[in-house]
Amino acid sequence: MIFVDVLAGGVRGGTAILYAALGETLAERAGVINLGTEGSMLTGALAAYAVTAGTGDPWAGVLAGACAGALLAAVHAFTVLSRGANQLATGLVVLFLGAGLTSMFGAAYVGRAISPFQPYPIPGLSRIPWAGPILFDHDPLVYASYLLAPALWWLLFRSRWGLVVRSAGERPAVLATYGHSPLLVRYLAVVGGGLLAGIGGAHLSTAYANAWFENMTAGRGFIAVALVIFAAWHPLRAVGGAYLFGAALALSPALQARGYGFNQFALDALPYLVTIAALIVLGRRQTGAAPEDLSRVFQLTPTR
Amino acid sequence: MTGAAVGAAEVRPQTVDNRQRSWPRWAAAVLAAPLIFGAFAAVKGVDPVAMYADMLASLADPAQAQTVLVRAAILLLAGLAVAVPARAGLLNVGGEGQIVIGAVAAAGVGLVTDQRLPGGLALVLMVVAAMAAGAAWAGIAAGLRLTANVNEAISTLLLNFVAIDIMLGLIYDPWKDAAGFGQPSSRPLEETARLPLFVTGGTLNAGILLALLALAGVWFATRRTAWGFRLRVVGGNPEAARRAGMRVGPLLLSAMLVGGALAGLAGLVHFAGTEFKLRPGMTTSFGYVGFLASWLALHRPLRVGLAALLLAAIAMGGDSLQIDSGLPAASLNVLMAVVLLVVLGTRRHPGRKS
Repeated sequence: MIFVDVLAGGVRGGTAILYAALGETLAERAGVINLGTEGSMLTGALAAYAVTAGTGDPWAGVLAGACAGALLAAVHAFTVLSRGANQLATGLVVLFLGAGLTSMFGAAYVGRAISPFQPYPIPGLSRIPWAGPILFDHDPLVYASYLLAPALWWLLFRSRWGLVVRSAGERPAVLATYGHSPLLVRYLAVVGGGLLAGIGGAHLSTAYANAWFENMTAGRGFIAVALVIFAAWHPLRAVGGAYLFGAALALSPALQARGYGFNQFALDALPYLVTIAALIVLGRRQTGAAPEDLSRVFQLTPTR
Repeated sequence: MTGAAVGAAEVRPQTVDNRQRSWPRWAAAVLAAPLIFGAFAAVKGVDPVAMYADMLASLADPAQAQTVLVRAAILLLAGLAVAVPARAGLLNVGGEGQIVIGAVAAAGVGLVTDQRLPGGLALVLMVVAAMAAGAAWAGIAAGLRLTANVNEAISTLLLNFVAIDIMLGLIYDPWKDAAGFGQPSSRPLEETARLPLFVTGGTLNAGILLALLALAGVWFATRRTAWGFRLRVVGGNPEAARRAGMRVGPLLLSAMLVGGALAGLAGLVHFAGTEFKLRPGMTTSFGYVGFLASWLALHRPLRVGLAALLLAAIAMGGDSLQIDSGLPAASLNVLMAVVLLVVLGTRRHPGRKS
């Protein structure tokens, strides 16, 4: 059933994007955009793969991936927040750093076998026709993301902690008068975002592809950043978007497996085109929903 | 530091001609980056001193020096493609895609004309096609920015992937060279339609002249014309420009189109000067490194030339790195990134008026 295959593949392939998008939602809610998300995913993917190869335990790998992603995001946070550099340009340079470091230290792991995450069908639920194979026949990191998205929504919109984060993105000056440090809040949000992106990378290398190769994220981090914009900085809407891109990624192999004669590259371009189309449709409406301090970054960017 | 200062650091209008304290930051970057990269190499068990010695020694070879100039020409064009929109406050991260589309257009025109028309005429047609295609590809992002308010940094990034898929789609099927031994690539360009070489048997081609011509043109246009002045005003403060009666939209569009045309020209120089056929991975990140070159040069045309030369030399060192030290050539991205981080991070002190 191709429909179920594509949707199940959408959930599986969209999970890495979902983690990164949730992390980026956190950072952007605090007023910092991090294009280095792609780099955090890459370092997360390699660290997770290397540690899984060394210890045989993919959970240790996820921990390492989260730390690596957070560490790279800390470089972005420092350069942007403490040194006042342009956010978009710094993010790209951080991506370069991540890409360079992972190709430098990752060459030894290309083609090496690991014991990856195994799918764990949830008893009972996975038997439901349609929904079962689509939602409940995956690896544990997918299930964890089901819980993470609502949890992040609750934290951001229903807790005092979330109010502080959102204030840092809207009116940092006001937050400062209440005795909080917007700088600290932004640091934590950016590093936390990198941590989640690192987990996304870990899912890619230890549960989805079960391999490591240079630049294996192939733009998923950029898609995650775009996704945050058209999800209007809302964690729950990001879920649907992430699975849409996952499905676009899953469509090409699903069609090829059935022998349809499509030009593979037209399909490979699909996720990026879908992202651009979504930004066009939602662009005007959504920019009003941007955290106020962040929208200044998006307008004509000061280029120095 | 207070939150107000965090916010202010982002919104303070910046003009491009803010020239104080720029040399110390160059010096700091040039000194700090090799130290940090050397430390990473040491972690990998490579002797940093020997590594740098090998990299420098490889530049002394005249053949290698030619290759550095060939790459510098492409990086110069790719850097200018970022610098011109940057003067208007636009972030063109799509150099890679615009280069690929330029190369695709050049290859398409080349495939049709190189056996029918005189070589020189075919080459001219290819130049025009590559520049138009690059401009059109950048124009998509500019159009989205102006009509749907899609941030150009995001759209140009995404379009890079689309451009590469277009090229791959073409060379895996309709343009595939039947005599290519199963390797996906287009048919090689006829020798008469290639960019002429300076030294027979060498690698240095006329692309460097095109790049220097473009550099002179960009320098003149941005420094000496009303258009360049208006771009700078829009980049400094778009609201002020609007109130002064400038048509901001067309200005932004023109800056992006010029940037795209320059990147398209870079694609032509790479295709008709070095590669002669389209193949997967042919652009090797020229667009992204050009982006770094422009930021390293603070978007000033003449300094983009210097930065392009420096980054081309570093990239050349990457090849020797691979051979002598066994590190992948992409490791050099670390060195470039650290240089840029230091430059971006020492720009100005937050919370202090610059």
